Amino acid sequence: MRHLIAIALLTTAAAIAAGQAGPTERQKIDNAAATRGRAVYAQYCINCHGSNIKGGDNGPDLIRSVVVLRDRLGNDIGAAMKKLDGHPRDLTPEQIVDLSHFLHQRIEATSSNRNTNQPPNVVTGNVEAGKAYFNGAGKCNTCHSPTGDLARIGTRVTPPINLQQRILFPSVARGGKTTEVTVTPSSGKAVTGTLVRIDDFNVTLRDTAGEYQSFKRGPNIKVDVRDPLAAHHALLDQYTDADMHNIVAYLESLK
Amino acid sequence: MKLIARIAGMIVLSAVMFAQAPLDPAKLLQLPTDMWPMANGDYTGRHYSPLTKINSSNVNSLTLAWVYRANPGSGPAGGGGTTSATIKGTPLQINGVMYLTIPDHVWAVDARTGREMWHFSWRSKGGWHIGNRGAAVLGNTLYVETPDCNLVALNIKDGKERWHKEICDLEQFYYGSVAPSIVKNHVIVGVSGDDLDIPGYVESHDPETGELQWRWYTHPDPNDPEAKTWPSVEAMMHGGGMTWGPSAYDPELNLYYFGTGNPQPVIAGRGRQGDNLYTESIVALNPDTGKLVWYFQASPHDTHDWDAIEAPILFDGEINGARRKLLAQASRNGWFFVLDRATGKNIVSTEFVKTNWTKGVDAKGQPIPDPKKEPQFDGALVSPNQGGAVNWPPPSFNPDTGLFYVNATRAFSVYYLYDTDDKPEGWGGNDRSGWSEGMLEALDYKTGKVKWSHPWSGNGGVRSGLLSTAGNLLFAGDNASNLIAFNPKDGSILWHAGMHTSMSNTPITYELDGIQYLVVGAGDSIYAFALLAK
Repeated sequence: MRHLIAIALLTTAAAIAAGQAGPTERQKIDNAAATRGRAVYAQYCINCHGSNIKGGDNGPDLIRSVVVLRDRLGNDIGAAMKKLDGHPRDLTPEQIVDLSHFLHQRIEATSSNRNTNQPPNVVTGNVEAGKAYFNGAGKCNTCHSPTGDLARIGTRVTPPINLQQRILFPSVARGGKTTEVTVTPSSGKAVTGTLVRIDDFNVTLRDTAGEYQSFKRGPNIKVDVRDPLAAHHALLDQYTDADMHNIVAYLESLK
Repeated sequence: MKLIARIAGMIVLSAVMFAQAPLDPAKLLQLPTDMWPMANGDYTGRHYSPLTKINSSNVNSLTLAWVYRANPGSGPAGGGGTTSATIKGTPLQINGVMYLTIPDHVWAVDARTGREMWHFSWRSKGGWHIGNRGAAVLGNTLYVETPDCNLVALNIKDGKERWHKEICDLEQFYYGSVAPSIVKNHVIVGVSGDDLDIPGYVESHDPETGELQWRWYTHPDPNDPEAKTWPSVEAMMHGGGMTWGPSAYDPELNLYYFGTGNPQPVIAGRGRQGDNLYTESIVALNPDTGKLVWYFQASPHDTHDWDAIEAPILFDGEINGARRKLLAQASRNGWFFVLDRATGKNIVSTEFVKTNWTKGVDAKGQPIPDPKKEPQFDGALVSPNQGGAVNWPPPSFNPDTGLFYVNATRAFSVYYLYDTDDKPEGWGGNDRSGWSEGMLEALDYKTGKVKWSHPWSGNGGVRSGLLSTAGNLLFAGDNASNLIAFNPKDGSILWHAGMHTSMSNTPITYELDGIQYLVVGAGDSIYAFALLAK
């Protein structure tokens, strides 16, 4: 085991030592070349390095390979294949470049797989349980109706992951609502309007006439902010994940 | 005329002499007064100043002394995009000169006037330009990391490069962002990067030559019992644990403390079953050898990107009637830990905001993750979110009040698993954030209980570092561009000033010529406040 670590450290040390002269940018992927490189990989490499490039019993993971990471247009992988036993010797320079593009394409995809182009399937709950929650513990029917504001919501908000997010984290602006605030000076008339900005020192609103008004906050001024989404925020502490999935399934079924 | 010229020459010489004055290493062992000699202020990391000229009775008279705007120019930054001139690092102030950083740039600024003295610019080969946490100085040399994995040594006299050494491999998607630490004859650096599955480490360099002295990886040796917290050597050696946070040092114990980052793959954890040591841990190393002395894991088998790199804060306190050497951390996962810093034994483990991801704590005081709250293909509602209950901005401990101050966030998000492969790599999922609220909290270190809490107006957490002082003051920034002075005893507001944007770093304070300055970074600018009578 220590031997393994020693090799790994040497590999890392060599990479660091060589780093100073390294190229300045990552390889720009030529997608056509990467497609050709995939065929090269399937013919020569896949048996040992695996269908997902992540290695197996007979060959290491090539996405985690320092040789591949440092390679540019085949210069390092070509040289490595010539030295290593059991590797093809008859690849053309063009095939090695294509292979390089393919491997770097997989590395780039791995490095960015915190993002996805494929929305996950979040419709895994029970429709009836979701309906019961809507009309029961969730008290959703206090403000919402499946035949009113939520009619055909399963068609209007897609993909369902967006519906899930909107149920949990609705936006004031998207719902056509505003956060209302009433400011009451001790010696003046209360002013109500749409909250524009608030911090510990000032509060700004746009009143019913559309006028912009700012007030200095202090002990002699009462500020009452009414968040129309307060009930949604409170639910975040109450939902179980099953509740979340059930309510998504119910609302997604409203088509 | 000759006399005037001679006097003028002497003035210029004296100004240059100021700029040249090296940092006496003894200053690193003292409370910061006329200097702010390291990013943390001192080795304890308390972000506490003994200065009292600015205090709760006169803070209302603070005025703007100067503003300095950092201009990095328009050159390409490479890698992670263009350099945004946001000052996140805590500046240093040494012998009247302030040193501040953003990725690839260092400036020396006259700490009395805000006038620029020199500007160093590094030609980058790439790397993420997300932020730079600050520089370190020893003698005549300033040390700074660059996003493209270099440790650069500059002459503090003129900003000219003395040497640079590569500290990580850009090709493996590492990058540099960390403020180096000076401990005796060691320049200790950490590394960043979690795009691919690479191991974290810290390493030490010779201050004069830059030669590598030691490196400590954030995973065990395969023969250690802790290696059993990984399913395989390969998973362990590609298991992450970056070291991008601040550190602390106890000269009596000769122990160097810091936290480690998330395991890899970040979100998809099924290929790394087990606790995954030493990721997400608070660790103590011998700074002369780089050997591990103890560890405490804040988030065993994390799958939420909750790096435990938040500042470890050192102070001595009374626990059950006995004086103890303590270390406290408010961790990104929402938990507050107090440890015996000689042994790493746990004293307090408690939530400082309500969370929903644990099933309690184990016998060692470590939270037990609830598997149901690991990321799921159809989503798991988790609190805190990926940004965490806290993040990199440092908290503060005030020995006068015995309170630990932290800018906390309560946030929810849904964690999704994307990667269906048998062997996930990279991230393999992500969260989508929704709603959060922020509050400035004062914690009793003996219990972790919230002594007082100041809710920030509006939704969203606040990311600003904190500073407390012996002048009965606690400084923080809000999300509305205000710099605010609080009474640290009860959380009442004593003073505030509006800036052009919100605080982006951590306040510092120092005294020069009998004047105490309070300095904060907001976006591309440094604001200096002082009590200026005339």
